[in-house]
Amino acid sequence: MSEEVFLKLEGVKKSFGGVHALRGVDLEIRKGEIHCLAGENGCGKSTLIKAISGVHNPDEGSIWIDGEKVENMKPMDAINRGIQVIYQDFAVFPNLTVAENIALNGELKNKTKFVNWKQIHEVAEKAMAQVGADIDPDVKLERLSVANKQMVAICRAIINDAKLLILDEPTTALTAREVDKLWDIIRSLKAKGIAIMIVNHKLDEIYRIADRLTILRNGTYISSGDISEYDQERFTRDMTGKDITEEKYMPEPGSEEVLRVEHLSRKGAFENVSFSLHKGDVLGITGLLGSGRGEIGEALFGLSPADSGKIVLNGKEISIKSVSDAMANEIGYVPEDRLTQGLFMQRSIQDNTIAASIRQYMKHGRLDKKGMEDTTNYWIKELGIKAPSPKPAVRTLSGGNAQKVVIAKWLNTHPKLFILDGPTVGVDVGAKAEIHSILHDLAKKGIGIIIISDDLPELVQNCNKILVMKEGKVSGMMDNSIDERTLGNMLVGSSDRGGEKA
Amino acid sequence: MKSRNLQGKAAPDTHMLTIVGLMVLALVIMAVLQPGDYFTLRNVRSMIFQFPEYGILAFGMMVCMIAGGIDLSLVGIMNFTGVLAAMIVTKMTANGSDLSMAVPAIILAVIVALAVGGCCGAFNGFIIGYFNIPAMLVTLCGLQLYTGLAYGITGGPAINGMCDAFKNIANGTVAGIPYVLFIYILAVAVVAFVMKSTVFGHEIYFLGSNAKASRYSGINTLKVTVMTHMFSGILGGVSGILITSHLNSAKSSNGSTYTLLTLLIVVLGGVHPDGGKGRVMGVALATILLQLITNAFGLMHMDDNAKTFVNGCLLVAALLLDAYLDKRALKKKSE
Amino acid sequence: MKRNNDWKLTLTSTPMILIYVMAVFCIIAAIRQPAFLSPATLVNLCRAGIFTMCFAICEMVVIISGGIDVSFPAIGCVAMYVPMYMYNNGMGVDNVFFFFGVAMLAGLIFGVLNGFLVSYLKLPPLIATLATSSVASGGLIMLLGTREFTTLPPSLEALYSINLLTFVDPNTGFNYPLTILILVPIILCLVMAYVMRYTMLGRGLYAIGGDSNAARIAGFNVRKLQFIAYIFCGVMASATAMIYTTLMHSSTTTALMGEEMIIIAACVVGGCRLTGGHGGVGGTVLGVLLITLVENNLNMLGIPTSWQTFAVGLVLLLGAVLSSVQAKRISKMGKI
Repeated sequence: MSEEVFLKLEGVKKSFGGVHALRGVDLEIRKGEIHCLAGENGCGKSTLIKAISGVHNPDEGSIWIDGEKVENMKPMDAINRGIQVIYQDFAVFPNLTVAENIALNGELKNKTKFVNWKQIHEVAEKAMAQVGADIDPDVKLERLSVANKQMVAICRAIINDAKLLILDEPTTALTAREVDKLWDIIRSLKAKGIAIMIVNHKLDEIYRIADRLTILRNGTYISSGDISEYDQERFTRDMTGKDITEEKYMPEPGSEEVLRVEHLSRKGAFENVSFSLHKGDVLGITGLLGSGRGEIGEALFGLSPADSGKIVLNGKEISIKSVSDAMANEIGYVPEDRLTQGLFMQRSIQDNTIAASIRQYMKHGRLDKKGMEDTTNYWIKELGIKAPSPKPAVRTLSGGNAQKVVIAKWLNTHPKLFILDGPTVGVDVGAKAEIHSILHDLAKKGIGIIIISDDLPELVQNCNKILVMKEGKVSGMMDNSIDERTLGNMLVGSSDRGGEKA
Repeated sequence: MKSRNLQGKAAPDTHMLTIVGLMVLALVIMAVLQPGDYFTLRNVRSMIFQFPEYGILAFGMMVCMIAGGIDLSLVGIMNFTGVLAAMIVTKMTANGSDLSMAVPAIILAVIVALAVGGCCGAFNGFIIGYFNIPAMLVTLCGLQLYTGLAYGITGGPAINGMCDAFKNIANGTVAGIPYVLFIYILAVAVVAFVMKSTVFGHEIYFLGSNAKASRYSGINTLKVTVMTHMFSGILGGVSGILITSHLNSAKSSNGSTYTLLTLLIVVLGGVHPDGGKGRVMGVALATILLQLITNAFGLMHMDDNAKTFVNGCLLVAALLLDAYLDKRALKKKSE
Repeated sequence: MKRNNDWKLTLTSTPMILIYVMAVFCIIAAIRQPAFLSPATLVNLCRAGIFTMCFAICEMVVIISGGIDVSFPAIGCVAMYVPMYMYNNGMGVDNVFFFFGVAMLAGLIFGVLNGFLVSYLKLPPLIATLATSSVASGGLIMLLGTREFTTLPPSLEALYSINLLTFVDPNTGFNYPLTILILVPIILCLVMAYVMRYTMLGRGLYAIGGDSNAARIAGFNVRKLQFIAYIFCGVMASATAMIYTTLMHSSTTTALMGEEMIIIAACVVGGCRLTGGHGGVGGTVLGVLLITLVENNLNMLGIPTSWQTFAVGLVLLLGAVLSSVQAKRISKMGKI
């Protein structure tokens, strides 16, 4: 690894309409290193990427690329200087072929007027050979898996003589094997002298890949250094600004069984999943993407029902074939993607709160407006949603408050079983703790709580039982005495117990 | 915090105010240009005779657009149900000569029109929801299908010769007030009640705001889509009865300009083309505004096509105004 | 295994299904009416398909770019009416280039209007083009009245009488001339097939239809491309309208109104998705052939004329359902 600096940022500040997204960020990326940019959600990571790639120009501070100070950079300038960004959604064209997706940007850059398909194929083959990808170049992108789409995006980025490759949360949608392959490719690119910046906030992944680390919090630079300088404690402290003081959740052992699931299977998603949940328990389900963690939640809520197996809720066997079955059996579900699946962003807090329970308000042939408003006010107070009244649209709320509205929507249906997929994604630290304490209170009241998450510290602290999924099968049932490093190793299967796979 | 809340509430009201302002403007202009003809009882009555048939159609369009779709087949449904109603009335009353059968014939015609309209709409909704095809395409096909059915049944020529009682539905008055005004007010009341005070109405708004989140909130999106279009189809059936009665004739090509007209009314009335937003009162006011303008054109002896031209310009203007207001609201919020 | 899958996919792809349907249609028609199997049918089909084909290519470009244009019939009416009106009022020369030039200029103006409304003002394309449609149609009649021109100027008459070949039915002695203007859709298809596949302009149209945000990031000028699509549609539709006048000996203010239905349907049946980014000249040609075949030969199947609107609607609906089922099948197919 050379010590030569490729990109340097000093005191970069940026604000949007009074909101300070970046309040002075320093960053130094050396040639041929893998640099991790870490921080909680909303710490300014994406704004920083946009400043580097020329989408936003900083209000204050300076950017040096290759020793040269640049000002008023446009996206095209950044590309010409060898900076390539791979966004979370990859920005690929689903309707075009692999070869075209890879080569189109280059053609566009050269301002060619005509398309030479032979050349496009050559460029694509060359790029794919460089990263060791093996994808049929004539297939349309809409048929590719997420990992292969990402591969195409990487190929597209490197053909134009990239010097710095920025990957925004590249592993969120990958399975374990795909993550391994991605890391291999990243390392081979590094060996070619390309600097890599990865935005990530998962400690176990950072340890496996990064050389150096920079941590941001609240738009401010916190610390930076070699990966070896960080242990778990310092990492968490720098990320959250708090020491790990939160107690692990320890319920009183209860005897009443709330939920029992036996041999639940859905073809292609998960098989033979069994677990049980007693009064006071908070069950965590974890696993990498594609391990079936999310699919179990979807099956219990009837979105994509299980093919076989038995579900016993409060001592009664129930069958869930659709969302209405699930709701009739008083099951609530907070989906993974709050923005598109959980909320009606344009509508008021009140509308969102009563969305799943609107039928309760039908009185004497018409809707009870007053009742709806009272309910919403009750939940605003009960859950500590920061809003002046039930009227403002949900889009005006912060991530944490919006998530509380989703939770309120389901609590208002008085569920017996409450499933939450990624309950604190994009939620700030304070609201995160509040949401967790809400869930603990519910569990103590005898409501079955299932948290599906890949945020391992969250699970270890808040669940007293953790179900680990791997490739559609249950690979272990833990209590929370396990530490997150061991848990992390279990997920990817790189622990010593890898032999159990048959 | 409080001021933002007030603004959030005020935004749709500015739209209403704009419409009312435009209405006042139209009235003032007419007061200057045609003081004698415009403000007469006869003129007011003639306006009331005209607008309910497309005003009710506009509610069908509104409901579908709030649900995030569009219904281009309304005119087809209107003509198809109109033809059926006309056939029933003419057959049962022997071309208007057998008066004893008039009342049962009309009742049967109305029931059939509403039922068939509902079925046509439900069919649209089912294809849209089940196969996930854009509503625009399905209802465009629906327009062709229902127009084709009307054409096939009649074989081309219009059906005339309805009995007087049937003609009276859209042409008669009680105490000088046209029946159709009551029918229109009833329709406004029903649509307003459904949209505001029923679960179904709220589900329409939810569906139009975010279809996926609706599904994740336990709303049966297929059912709501089918019911929305069915509702729209029933309103189309009501219009079918009115227009057949009004014109004393039913054929497959009546009211061909109504598709554009209803779209214009709905957009002018503040319904968002992407769905999720819109109010019954806005649409009702926009209907009346357009009738004022149409009537003014009629009195000034300008032809129908000038009206089409102006309607097109108005549609663009309404959309631009909406876009501008949206942008301003966003800007205010970020400040 | 993979190859086997691809082979099955080809056999059940949309173009193949269209070919099967057309084959079945032709066989039934031929059994019921042996006269169907005559060159005369083919010549008639070609004549009937000229406008549909040209309009469909215009619409296809707009649909691929992620929009829709329902204003081209109205624009076409303006384009066929204005030059005739000028000529008959002594305001123009009798020259083919003049007629086509004026027509295409009219198309350009409304194409720019559409492009402006959609790409700069970001209005929903359906509503924006509906508005343009009423402005064009209403404005035309308001300003120039509703006359019908049924005699062509000599220069257009001369163009009309050039025939590529004439088929004489040996039994009846009827003449079936095939006009030279059949070359217009053929050349248009070839040129557009080339443009859509081998130029950055064409690929750009696919790109903005597939994902306009990704296209913007990649550096495409999304607005410009949308503009080009609507202008092309307006100009080409106007030229087509002039061809219509030439062949039909008729120019009225409403001759083409209502055409948009069939044309959009032909595109969708031919594999264009209304969400944009999918479809191509080949599929559209097949779609147009199917629609033209059905529209013009339903009586051969014994369907009375009065039911033809309904039958065409049914074909369209089935086409829409088919293309949606196909898209669903592809998205459900195992990811690779």
